[in-house]
Amino acid sequence: MTSSVLAAENLAVESRLHDGRRLPVLSGISFALEAGKVLGLVGESGAGKSMIGRAVAQLLPPGFSVAGGSLAFAGRDLVRMGVQARRQLLGREIAFIPQEPLSALNPVMTIGAQFGEHLARLGITSQMRRREEARAMLEAVHLPRAAELLRQFPHELSGGMCQRVLIAMAFASRPKLVIADEPTTALDATIQARIIGLMGEMRDAYGAALMFITHDLRLAAEFCDEIVVLYAGRAVEKGEARKLLSSPLHPYTRCLQLAVPSLSAPERELFTLPGEMPGLARLGALEGCRFAPRCPNVGEICRKEEPKLLAVAPSREAACFRTELTLAIETLNQAAPASPKRTAPLLRVDGLKKRYVSRRGLFGSTDVLAIDDVSFAVAENEFVGVVGESGSGKSTLAKLIIGLERPSSGRIELCGQDAFDRSEAARRRRIETAQMVFQDPQSALNPRRRAASIVTQVLEAAAPRLSLNERQQRAEELLAEVGLSAELGGRYPSQLSGGQKQRVNIARALCAAPKLLIADEIVSGLDVSVQAQLIALLHRLRRELSFALLFISHDLAVVRKLCERVLVMWRGKVVEEGLTAQVFATPQHPYTRELVGASNTGRIANSE
Amino acid sequence: MGKRFLKKELAFLRSGRVIVGVALVGIVVSCALFAPFLAPHDPEEQNLITTLLPPAWSAGGDPAYLLGTDSLGRDVLSRLLYGARVAMTVAVAASFGAMLIGSTLAHLAGYFGGKVDWLIGRAVDVWMSFPPVVLSLVLMTGLGAGISSVILAIVLVDWTRFCRVLRAEVLVTRRQDYVAAARLVGFSHWRTLTREILPATMPLLITLLSIEMGIAVIVEAILSFVGMSVGANQSAWGQMIADARQTLYESGWNLVLPMLAIFVTVLGFNLLGDGLRRTLDPRLLQAREL
Repeated sequence: MTSSVLAAENLAVESRLHDGRRLPVLSGISFALEAGKVLGLVGESGAGKSMIGRAVAQLLPPGFSVAGGSLAFAGRDLVRMGVQARRQLLGREIAFIPQEPLSALNPVMTIGAQFGEHLARLGITSQMRRREEARAMLEAVHLPRAAELLRQFPHELSGGMCQRVLIAMAFASRPKLVIADEPTTALDATIQARIIGLMGEMRDAYGAALMFITHDLRLAAEFCDEIVVLYAGRAVEKGEARKLLSSPLHPYTRCLQLAVPSLSAPERELFTLPGEMPGLARLGALEGCRFAPRCPNVGEICRKEEPKLLAVAPSREAACFRTELTLAIETLNQAAPASPKRTAPLLRVDGLKKRYVSRRGLFGSTDVLAIDDVSFAVAENEFVGVVGESGSGKSTLAKLIIGLERPSSGRIELCGQDAFDRSEAARRRRIETAQMVFQDPQSALNPRRRAASIVTQVLEAAAPRLSLNERQQRAEELLAEVGLSAELGGRYPSQLSGGQKQRVNIARALCAAPKLLIADEIVSGLDVSVQAQLIALLHRLRRELSFALLFISHDLAVVRKLCERVLVMWRGKVVEEGLTAQVFATPQHPYTRELVGASNTGRIANSE
Repeated sequence: MGKRFLKKELAFLRSGRVIVGVALVGIVVSCALFAPFLAPHDPEEQNLITTLLPPAWSAGGDPAYLLGTDSLGRDVLSRLLYGARVAMTVAVAASFGAMLIGSTLAHLAGYFGGKVDWLIGRAVDVWMSFPPVVLSLVLMTGLGAGISSVILAIVLVDWTRFCRVLRAEVLVTRRQDYVAAARLVGFSHWRTLTREILPATMPLLITLLSIEMGIAVIVEAILSFVGMSVGANQSAWGQMIADARQTLYESGWNLVLPMLAIFVTVLGFNLLGDGLRRTLDPRLLQAREL
């Protein structure tokens, strides 16, 4: 107990409602983290993983408080510690690496000024020594031209570089404990792998303990020594990282494992967990195991009694009555999708270019070629993936095809007709042929419309005088199609969960029964179980409705799951194109190779 | 569960701001509407025997003149009630006029952007480079005194406020994907503007409208103070303040009462606007059914 840097015993956090009732947010969380080790906290959004990090920093949101148990840092009680003492610890012995590197840095201060401020707080008084130290730390995180970097502002740096700066700042105080809350989620895959490697390196160099909070089970298994899997505020499984991933004991861990698409494992269907994690308000009323309503192995006892986290095997703990059944949860092997018959192309893009002019100073202006001579075709009922990292022009391509932006040159044909005909008839035709599903459902759904009204917007545009009854009927059909119950039609987007919003988003695009659907990163930013549900939904919709899909994503594994053909984009160009299986198995272009490599690190192949 | 707590919170907001605002504005509006029935005297009836009477409850007051009389022996209460008519007419007409011009231009500028935005933006800039007080005085001189001139002057001076503030809100909304999505499902520009953007800017519009009503009350008071609003044979709050200046030391009440009327009216409009914005915005209705 005394040797551990951070130890939690039966930690419980609760939220107090205005009417005085208390809801348990976290309960019975125990772990011990030793120096030089990495502890992973894994769970989907709402599982309570960030609450633990916030409890350590005592930065719980208003109304939340530690209700019981203990949380000790190097033998000192963090919960009952005074403000002054805690302030001495935070930022010095306990450091943080945030999720959004760009918003964590002050945009009006240079990197040098921010770093200097931090070092001054650590007690380095001489400015010369501060600069020296900052430079040394930036070099330690492999940032080139460190001296120059100190004079730059955060917006002049890429997201990956900002994250490196923050890691350098976190380790500058030689902390005993570093808490990293989803440090790579906002970054591209290629950079993500490097940042993870860097954090491991820094941990080794400084001997700090790391608490790694993530939603990505595989990434955690690669990087951590021990993992705690959280579900609805409870630790459901705890154990040595690799063993936990290779042979999960708790059905939830198993389901998570099977819900993540993989680049290298043999093709199999993704496991789709029904329903959603219970929200905060429902936690108090739950009886029995919290996972029971969704569990494929649920038994009589699970609904009555809550399982405790018990040692099942050496250094393995799980909160489940029927752990022996867990590995029996399986998914079907998936036959390779039959490639559709080659028909006349539905969409043909030819020599497409899009140039943006960015002005510099008074006279200078530089052209940026966002799309540089792109040509490809999509056949009817074909699923084509477009992969590449941020800034590669994927989203611009989508906007050009759908007509939200006009190309600088080149041709786009939909069903053999020029898509840039500006006449009203052509616009109508395009609306009926192609629809787009936007990336961010938060922004893509009008917060002032109910779900039923959103999904039938096409009808509103085409026939404004349609009776409310008819619209309601069509709305119910569409909602059923995307797996939502009719009652959800009456809700506003703010009352829907992330997965439900994305389903509404898809339903709206389907209302016009388009032949081509363009989907821009529609599953990124969602929890893996929701992601698996949406992939299954797209598969089913394809069988039922038959449409072509242009699927834009940075996640290669998801593209492999969904698309027969793939385009790899890099700096506005299509650098590789071909059948998905082929491209990912034997990438030709160096960039594709790097992309595939980066997506494979942190992905241990399944044991079976 | 979460819902009950939210309803409680909203009820608090309603009682806190909207209720007080509605009550204050309601009192002033009913005073204006029912002035002929409420007023104990003809507001212009002079009684030179009973000039500068203090309010009825203080020493030397006359119960017939509840709030006393002014230097010409006119009943202060009656004049205040009839003054509310002028104030409300100006407040409603001027702010709706300014809102119509300003918000129409704001929506066009923010939605279409480019040249339209540039043109409207420059027009606002030029317009605003005239000092508002000078502009309204020049307008009043050109238009001549009278209540309709006051309304027109306020509309012509204050439409820029709506235009500038709302344009920013339209720009923010315009960038939301749901606006692009509406165009993609076939919405016309008109339908996109009225069904997707207007509902989003409505809370701000209502707030501005309510605040503008308060401002219009003040501007009308200023203009009637300098004698450019209603004629001398009609009572307005600004005019009452101007009249009371001469007898400030004999009778402070004559000055305080119309000022109090203006204060209460403006406060009511501001509270109402703020309260409405909070209750109309569904973004604040985060009632999650968990």
